Amino acid sequence: MKAKHIKWGAIFALLPIAFLFYGMIVFGGQKYEGSTQNCFTDGILINGLAAFGKLERPEVLFLHDKHTDALEKKNKDCLTCHVKDKNNNLSIKFKRIENVSKDEVMDIYHLNCINCHNEMSASGDKSGPVTCGECHRDKVEESLCRAPIEIDKSLHGRHSKAYENKCETCHHEYNPETKKLFYEKGKESSCRYCHKDKTEENRMSMSMAAHTQCVNCHKKNIEEQKTAGPIKCSGCHDAKKQQLISKLDTIPRLERKQPDAALIKNNSPELATRMNFVPFDHKAHEEYNDTCRVCHHESLNECTKCHTLLGIKEGSNVSLESSMHTKKEKSSCIGCHEAKQKDKQCIGCHTFDSSRKKSSEDYCAKCHMSVPAQGTFTEEKDMSNFLLISRKLTTDSYNAEEIPEKVVMKDLVDKYEQAEMPHRKIVEYFEKSINSNKLSGYFHKDKNTVCNGCHHNSTSSVKPTRCGNCHGKPLAESENLDKPVLMTAYHGLCIGCHKEMELGKATGCADCHKERKKWWNNSVNR
Amino acid sequence: MSRRKFLGLAGAAGASALIGSSAHSASNKHFEGYPNSFGVLHDITLCVGCRSCEAACNRVNELPQPDVSFSDVSVLEQKRRTSSDAFTVVNKHANLKNSKVPIFNKIQCNHCLEPACASVCFVKAFKKTEQGPVLYDPSVCVGCRYCMVACPFDIPTYEYDKAFTPRVRKCTLCYPRIIEGLLPGCVESCPTGALKFGKRDDLIKIARDRISKKPEKYIEHIYGEHEMGGTSWLYLSGVPFKQLGMREDLGIKPAPEYTAGALSGVPIVVGLWPVLLTGIYAMTKRKEKVADLEKKECVKEAIEKEKADANAKLAKAMEKAETDKKTAIDKAVKKALEEASKAKVEG
Repeated sequence: MKAKHIKWGAIFALLPIAFLFYGMIVFGGQKYEGSTQNCFTDGILINGLAAFGKLERPEVLFLHDKHTDALEKKNKDCLTCHVKDKNNNLSIKFKRIENVSKDEVMDIYHLNCINCHNEMSASGDKSGPVTCGECHRDKVEESLCRAPIEIDKSLHGRHSKAYENKCETCHHEYNPETKKLFYEKGKESSCRYCHKDKTEENRMSMSMAAHTQCVNCHKKNIEEQKTAGPIKCSGCHDAKKQQLISKLDTIPRLERKQPDAALIKNNSPELATRMNFVPFDHKAHEEYNDTCRVCHHESLNECTKCHTLLGIKEGSNVSLESSMHTKKEKSSCIGCHEAKQKDKQCIGCHTFDSSRKKSSEDYCAKCHMSVPAQGTFTEEKDMSNFLLISRKLTTDSYNAEEIPEKVVMKDLVDKYEQAEMPHRKIVEYFEKSINSNKLSGYFHKDKNTVCNGCHHNSTSSVKPTRCGNCHGKPLAESENLDKPVLMTAYHGLCIGCHKEMELGKATGCADCHKERKKWWNNSVNR
Repeated sequence: MSRRKFLGLAGAAGASALIGSSAHSASNKHFEGYPNSFGVLHDITLCVGCRSCEAACNRVNELPQPDVSFSDVSVLEQKRRTSSDAFTVVNKHANLKNSKVPIFNKIQCNHCLEPACASVCFVKAFKKTEQGPVLYDPSVCVGCRYCMVACPFDIPTYEYDKAFTPRVRKCTLCYPRIIEGLLPGCVESCPTGALKFGKRDDLIKIARDRISKKPEKYIEHIYGEHEMGGTSWLYLSGVPFKQLGMREDLGIKPAPEYTAGALSGVPIVVGLWPVLLTGIYAMTKRKEKVADLEKKECVKEAIEKEKADANAKLAKAMEKAETDKKTAIDKAVKKALEEASKAKVEG
């Protein structure tokens, strides 16, 4: 009797464990091929039912290019899966133009996908899955690597050329009253200003708008045997293939009645800023950036429309001052200019910025230039132009013989011999870098600016202060708790600069100074 | 000992155990560290892995010469730990942010504000000094190596090769040097300023300042500010500390706080139990004595009773014998008298 009890007890206890194993074998454990090794540029997450509420099963990863290739072999075209809308464009939805009801959408997918897969395998071809779990998998988004594509100036130029500058081919406005699209010359702007991430009422999502417009247009061109853009996913969304998109040698300017030179000024006359207005070389900045959106992030209006002196809701309450000076924002003047300091040839000096005195009057006046007497110019743009032309865009320099050719550092000789630094060579390298572009040329125009890269907080002269004057011995009392001692100052400057510029040389001790035999031969030191 | 006396003593012992001041190592209040104590800030972003600190440490602590010269940086290819011959080692880590520039990190004793090693040491061989260093006294050490188990940073090491005088070995934050106003050996020799010696409070300010000046360079975490209740050694890094093999699961409680509850019972156990047990022992002893006495008395009584009974019996027997005798005499007299009278009659 008792033995029987034990036997049944054991059986009941082991049942769940057995189920668990069975479950692992039957319901899971099939490794998805594309999860780690591959990632797909042509992956689409099918979640057509998301519009009707919470999904009961995970979204389906659908590989679009894989299907188009398979259909091509069977001499089938896009109409196999896509229907045409009233404009004779292919709807980007699968086998429908609009979502009707949840059940109907679900049936469209299930019947069509499974039937086609069955037909393909019946005719002996490679085919897709037909059971639920094979399509509805977890964590499929990990295998997506679609690189977003930007219509940069070069691509835009190629399109305008192909369409003989007919902007209305792509650009349109929306009239909410007639609920129609219309085109207005001079109002062209970025698609993204209206088309956002998600489809809103009467407003397609960016992705839907782009695929409807671009793919259909490319397809028509192919049908008409013209030069055409890609119609496959990987054609636009593969990071490697993006590199291969041919660039125009001379990129035409985007014409939208924008000024060549603008005067950035406070638009609230009742509030005097007492700062000089800033002349802005709009034309040059168009060349520096790929798209207008880099600066004009919400619309192609002038900055001061949304960024007023005190800030308004339309400009997210960002004031004019913040919009131009915020360091962390790429769309602000200083933010963008400071990001350029991260370039390899600049960062050597600019990595030590935190210790530099910067906000001097001179620094502000670089942009807030002193304005000529009133009445000199009638037009703002003339004044801007005058100010911009008057700028000096290269750095002054000392005569070569005034710059010490070598600097020998021997104050701390102990374990290592003195270190010699090719001083003049370094100065000349930096001067060359500075003069290689207008931004750095203008901001380093004083001949001591380049010196101050290393000789910071020092008098501006041919003979700057010695490092040891400020950087003393360890534990020396100082108001600045974090002031480095002399050895740290030397090494911090040299190694810091080499490291940031990724020069790859002078990283080990003996690269700059040889070991001193006297010290190293003393066995205590080994 | 009388019952009254014992209870009085026990009460006194209990009260003293409750009132008595408890040591830091077993208290459960948060200790903020000694004011003005020293520490070192290790800015990992500045370390270039030159091993100067290792060489200096070896020199100032007069440790045995290693097989490989300190100028040879190829040893960094392997992950190393502190040992009884090396109180500090530098390790090299892959940089996930920029594969071209590896990251170097120095490890040594972190000199916790409330050290786990000290809290588990039952002979008080470890002591947190006011200056900051956690020091070890080999003269009292019994070699149990609890400290090595307790340390969350795996720092204390042991001289396994010494049969008779093995010691626990670890960095001392160069206590002998800092009380003379010198820098710790490693800090003095660091060429890049990756190590900065100073008052711990100042170092925290400096660390915060560096983070705020270069938010893109540092992660916003000063390792050691709160870990294990805070350590005298602080770290700044450009990548999460977990990537450098530093534990981020330690929490902010000092080790003693976890054990304070259990350890605060120790004085009671150690102080009160002997008294209690002695009392119980004395009481049992006394009980035995009393029982013995009673037993003896009982026995005496019994014996006496027995004796009395015996005497009574004897007396009775004697009496009976007496009466028997008397009766016999009487009988005999009677008989004689009868015979005499008979003879008279006949005669």
